[in-house]
Amino acid sequence: MEEIKKVRTVCRSCHGGCGVIAQVKNGKVVKIEGDPDSPISYGTLCSKGLAITQIAYHPDRILHPMKKGHQGWERITWDEALDTVAYQFKKVIEQHGPESLFIGQGTGRDYESHFSRFGNLLGTPNVLTAGHMCYLSRIGASLITCGRFPVCDYEGEPKCIILWAVNPLWTNPDEYKGAGFWRAYKKGAKLIVIDPRKNFYTQKADLWLQLRPGTDAALAMGFFQVIIEEELYDKEFVTRYIHGWDAFVERVKEYPLYKVEQITRIGEELIREAARMYACTKPAGIHWGVPTEQTINCTDFTRTAIGLMAATGNLDAPGGNVFHVPPKVRKVSEFSRHDALSPTQREKRLGGEQYKLAARMALITPKAAWEAMLTEKPYPLKAGIFVGTNPLITEANAKDIYAALQKLDFLAVADFFLTPTAELADIFLPAGTWLEQNHMAENWKFHGYVLARQKVVEIGECWQDHKIFQELGKRMGQEWWDTVEDALDYLLEPTGLTWEQFKEKGYLKGDMIYYKYRQGGFSTPTRKVELFSTILEDWGRDPLPKYTEIPESPVSRPDLAKEYPFILNAGLRTPTFFHSANRQVPWLREIRPDPIVEIHPDTARKHGIKEMDWVWIESPRGRVKQKVKLNDGIDPVVVVAEHGWWFPEIKDEGHGWDISNINLLTDDSHQSMDPVMGATNLRVLLCNISRCEQG
Amino acid sequence: MGKISLTILKEDCCGCHSCEVACKQEHDLGVGPRLIRVIEKSPLFIPIYCHHCAKPPCKDACPVEAIYRNDQGLVLINEEACIGCRECVTACPFGAMQFDDIKEVAAKCDLCLERLTEGKAPACSLICPTGCMVWGDTTELLNRAASRA
Repeated sequence: MEEIKKVRTVCRSCHGGCGVIAQVKNGKVVKIEGDPDSPISYGTLCSKGLAITQIAYHPDRILHPMKKGHQGWERITWDEALDTVAYQFKKVIEQHGPESLFIGQGTGRDYESHFSRFGNLLGTPNVLTAGHMCYLSRIGASLITCGRFPVCDYEGEPKCIILWAVNPLWTNPDEYKGAGFWRAYKKGAKLIVIDPRKNFYTQKADLWLQLRPGTDAALAMGFFQVIIEEELYDKEFVTRYIHGWDAFVERVKEYPLYKVEQITRIGEELIREAARMYACTKPAGIHWGVPTEQTINCTDFTRTAIGLMAATGNLDAPGGNVFHVPPKVRKVSEFSRHDALSPTQREKRLGGEQYKLAARMALITPKAAWEAMLTEKPYPLKAGIFVGTNPLITEANAKDIYAALQKLDFLAVADFFLTPTAELADIFLPAGTWLEQNHMAENWKFHGYVLARQKVVEIGECWQDHKIFQELGKRMGQEWWDTVEDALDYLLEPTGLTWEQFKEKGYLKGDMIYYKYRQGGFSTPTRKVELFSTILEDWGRDPLPKYTEIPESPVSRPDLAKEYPFILNAGLRTPTFFHSANRQVPWLREIRPDPIVEIHPDTARKHGIKEMDWVWIESPRGRVKQKVKLNDGIDPVVVVAEHGWWFPEIKDEGHGWDISNINLLTDDSHQSMDPVMGATNLRVLLCNISRCEQG
Repeated sequence: MGKISLTILKEDCCGCHSCEVACKQEHDLGVGPRLIRVIEKSPLFIPIYCHHCAKPPCKDACPVEAIYRNDQGLVLINEEACIGCRECVTACPFGAMQFDDIKEVAAKCDLCLERLTEGKAPACSLICPTGCMVWGDTTELLNRAASRA
């Protein structure tokens, strides 16, 4: 019997970079453990990471390329699969131009560099991701406001932390890990929690602000109201480093606290107390979550939050919100070859004229893609590739997406399983999990680290996504490296390390310097924090942040609220699933067998609904059913529902995509989206609920 | 070696369920027996786990003396002797005693006995993001708990 071999690597069951020790026996991963030496996770690991072996070795996992024939899916070779994709893509380029191709990814398996390189060298500007409403949207807003992305500096020991719409111990948006938050909290930091639901953190918090879902940007304005009125801001910083402070102060006057109370439903005094605590406790960090991005206020919220960090002197200050210094590796942007996409092709970016911030981030809002597929306007989208994404479940207005994808001439999908989206494809490419990946991980993040994710095993004929782009790229005549590892050597070249040497080292960290703006200012056109954005002004947009009422709320649509009296707060996170992933993993599904909708006990009683009943949730766009969990820690008018649900155990090709999928209820009309980023509203809409008789 | 205990600081359980999966992996368990489990009662999380009781009701309920307490105070099952009658499952006041449908025997937390002998922490406690699972010498834990109160 073979000895157990231990391999040090890095998880990617979510966006995370948690350190892992994988144990291998007879060529198979037998155990996953946390790596105590990881600077990201300090030995902790979540259920999703621990359960990776049940994904990697799942009986339903597809381990070879396939094509859809007359008899359904048929096994083919990699050569046939890649030749087919290349042939179909070349045909579209010849007949319609490369812009009629799209490349699509979900939250990604850390292949952004390769994904974008493939798209840019293909000549298509139509890059379809979740970035319009998740993470890249906050980065886009940060870049135009302060030149870089400010991250809560847990290593610098904040004395006050605002958790704003985030659950860091369950789900980790990128830089942050729950472990870092917890360490800082345990050292005695004050805690302010902003969340519509009573939760673990609200019980720990010094102050809990239970806001009406979707009103975060108004609350941020309320904070500013207090900070300006009571002169709690850092006057020197404001004078020297904020562009447009006076104009911004005028804007804030439009948000007196009584008005903010009306909008957010948080008492004036509580807002005042929280603003004081944040502004007067030094240093203080804001850790904010994706719900703030998934509404019409996406860009404005991030901009106002950065304003708070700046005006209180917490920007790039130890323990505040900082710009981490990356290690000296080659950047994702350089590897991605954005320079290779011609200005003519850039101009063809779908929705690019309208959603200029998305275009600046080199992506499109998917809405523009679905429209081009359905209407062929401004030109048709004919074919494309989805890698690690299941938009039928995870993007807004799923019914339209289903119709749009049916119109494609050709679709390739790279994934682990035949998901509802993959079932619509013509070619299936079997992708590798993070256990099957060699990569310099986390290069595109802003926490100052790159981490060695090294291949632990190979399974079936699966390839890591990087290799799929590389080999497909070569077939399209693109310039790539011979091997995945050669490309890693290129990425590591500026450090003087090879991939083999980096693997031994485990990770690299940039040398942190605080207050970098004191030399040379911020990387914006005025070299200052642009609360008044010269870029937005150039685009003919409102240069100052504001709060816009959610287009489908009891306030904006009292007429509709008669029929749909509840505020649906969609996208409730689970600790076990990552968006639409993991529903087939036995260990995780046992913990969370059903899609859950949380309803206040009073509301439930009124509607004759009991705990564990199935209920219909209905919006103007459709209805789905989920199972009830009572929660007296929400406003009785708010209903909170999980997202990402499909049922892998249902074996027909739909896999139950339309049973509990909350995105059949969400809206993606242009008027509901962020005006510059094209963020779709996955979070706040009107709904009704009723008991579902059949169960 | 003295008696060993595991205790969970309930107020610090964030409901992430990582301990459950770590336990399943360590004990090579599939769907079914959950030797540690976190019940969600929004917004509270209630960990259900074996307390390795000083006077274990499960041990008393067992008609064939398959359950015993070792020198370290750990309540363990002799799988060979277990007849699968489930008396212990009913007897446990915490709902911690489980049943393995495949082996058709009772299943319970052994505090990762194998790991303990190698000087390692129980699998569940090791990955907990809040460190709410505390294990070690029983007397020391009791002293620590007393000083907290």
